[in-house]
Amino acid sequence: MTTFELYRRSTIGMCLTETLDEMVSNGTLSPELAIQVLVQFDKSMTEALEAQVKSKVAIKGHLHTYRFCDNVWTFILQDAQFKNEECQEHVGKVKIVACDSKLLNQ
Amino acid sequence: MTEPRLEGEQSVDLQTMQPPGVTVTLQNIVSTSNLCCKLDLKVIAQQARNAEYNPKRFAAVIMRIKEPRTTALIFASGKTVCTGAKSEEQSLLASRKYARIIQKLGFDEFKVHNIVGTCDVQFPIRLEGLACSHNHFCSYEPEIFPGLIYRMREPKTVLLIFVSGKVILTGSKSKADILRAFQQIYPVLAEFRKAPLPASAQPYTSKNGKDGF
Repeated sequence: MTTFELYRRSTIGMCLTETLDEMVSNGTLSPELAIQVLVQFDKSMTEALEAQVKSKVAIKGHLHTYRFCDNVWTFILQDAQFKNEECQEHVGKVKIVACDSKLLNQ
Repeated sequence: MTEPRLEGEQSVDLQTMQPPGVTVTLQNIVSTSNLCCKLDLKVIAQQARNAEYNPKRFAAVIMRIKEPRTTALIFASGKTVCTGAKSEEQSLLASRKYARIIQKLGFDEFKVHNIVGTCDVQFPIRLEGLACSHNHFCSYEPEIFPGLIYRMREPKTVLLIFVSGKVILTGSKSKADILRAFQQIYPVLAEFRKAPLPASAQPYTSKNGKDGF
């Protein structure tokens, strides 16, 4: 089963990668095991977001640029409003990277 | 052929004889160009803004620019199609911008393929009469499509003529051709102008317009 590696770019993913890199550098962890950890991270993130996260956000803004390549959509929005039931947030510039979840099961 | 609407259902004032100061508005120009070199579409899609590339579905990069507002299809062969411009000059300008984006030299063979224009003659038209009289050129089946399809031979143009008096002209390779086609069809449309009310309706006259076109 393939995984999406895009969650490795999140703050938590970056911290994990940094930690694993440190452990591999000082020999406490083998590189193969580090990769296995990251793959498990990808799977867990996908599962958790799918099964455990119920909240929805509406995003509205001006589309500055868009790109579709390798089945990945990349959007850059300006003056965006992130709205959900509880609160609203205004963001000057935001980049959205989206992968098609249907491709996970190939 | 059925006569669907002869009663003055439209509230168009036919008393004022409008002079044909009717303008044709170009809606869409489709043009092609050849950048004369092979392109790496993946690289273009990854680096250019506002680009889409889904080779499984379509073998070209779809790119858009805001000024002139157009869409281009860019193929690996170097050939490109530019759509959406409102004039030939704008289409050329847009094509040049796409070429600049791809940063290739030797911009060759810019050619306009199809121009679409619309206009409104400001009076309703008896499509059935027109179809009968010009039957070599017309195709009118209101059950399938409410517009009459008129295939003009010279200049080679297809006109969609509607009861409302609105006309769509397509198939021309230049603005001059579109205007010429319109100038030729206008007297025919005037000849089949719809009468205002049944009481004062003109008797239907079938003129033989075949020699003109």
